[in-house]
Amino acid sequence: MLKISWKIFLFLLLAFVSIAGIAFPIVENPHAWYEFPLIPGLEENAKIIFFHVPTAWLTVVAFLVSTVYSFKYLRTKNLDDDAKAYSSTQLGMVFCILATVTGAVWAKFAWGSFWSWDPRQTSIFALLLIYGALFALRSSIESEDKRATLSAVYSLIAFVTVPFFIFIMPRIMKGLHPGSADDTNAGPVVNFKMNGSMQLIFFLSLIGFTILYFWMWRLSYKTIIYRDKLDKKLIRG
Amino acid sequence: MESFLSNNAIYIVMIIVLIVWAGIFFYLFSLDKRIKNVEKELKEGVKNEK
Repeated sequence: MLKISWKIFLFLLLAFVSIAGIAFPIVENPHAWYEFPLIPGLEENAKIIFFHVPTAWLTVVAFLVSTVYSFKYLRTKNLDDDAKAYSSTQLGMVFCILATVTGAVWAKFAWGSFWSWDPRQTSIFALLLIYGALFALRSSIESEDKRATLSAVYSLIAFVTVPFFIFIMPRIMKGLHPGSADDTNAGPVVNFKMNGSMQLIFFLSLIGFTILYFWMWRLSYKTIIYRDKLDKKLIRG
Repeated sequence: MESFLSNNAIYIVMIIVLIVWAGIFFYLFSLDKRIKNVEKELKEGVKNEK
């Protein structure tokens, strides 16, 4: 029973976040629990935070999980850990691209153009290149163990850059993105003039997307592990 | 089109939700393909054993 119920819970949670994120009104003086505050310069655009920020958050979570399992692989030399790390990197890449694309669409209307080399955009682009190289590295090595070891070491090194690119660099540099150093009306992204209801929906959204990520990740690494097991069984006959 | 969207910013949010959904859908699609390959391999393996 518990096995299905968290999936139903996830469905209801994300459905609620979608409805609340789109339909709840933005007013100047919010009183009711379902009203969001008006943020000057962002207005209705501010609602993107419920869908764009979770994708960026999942990028970090996925790359972190991938690093943890890379480390585990280097210690245990168990190829299952490599499958887990690899599928997490794949998912991180998917969400990294989503964060970039949704950010660009939003930027078109908030800043006037899809791409303006804002510090935030530059850093996520660098991150895409760094982790993109991992896939090139993997596809160029034939030997299973060598491939796993090299990509584990690479992803350990690559993750060192993630906190700088996601959390530090865009906050200490001047830029257009909410939360930049010279941002007067916003401030650090999470507590920018959000009221309780906005924070509630925001954190519900983060929780929902995180559960979704772990679900997708589990499905993904299981297929890789089963394929490997099958391959080995067929070869040994 | 552009002025309509900047006057009705909620549709931008809608586009963004659609993009996120499309990304998740694309991922599931490729996962499905991977599972199909495993299934095929399994079937052929069983055949060869016979």
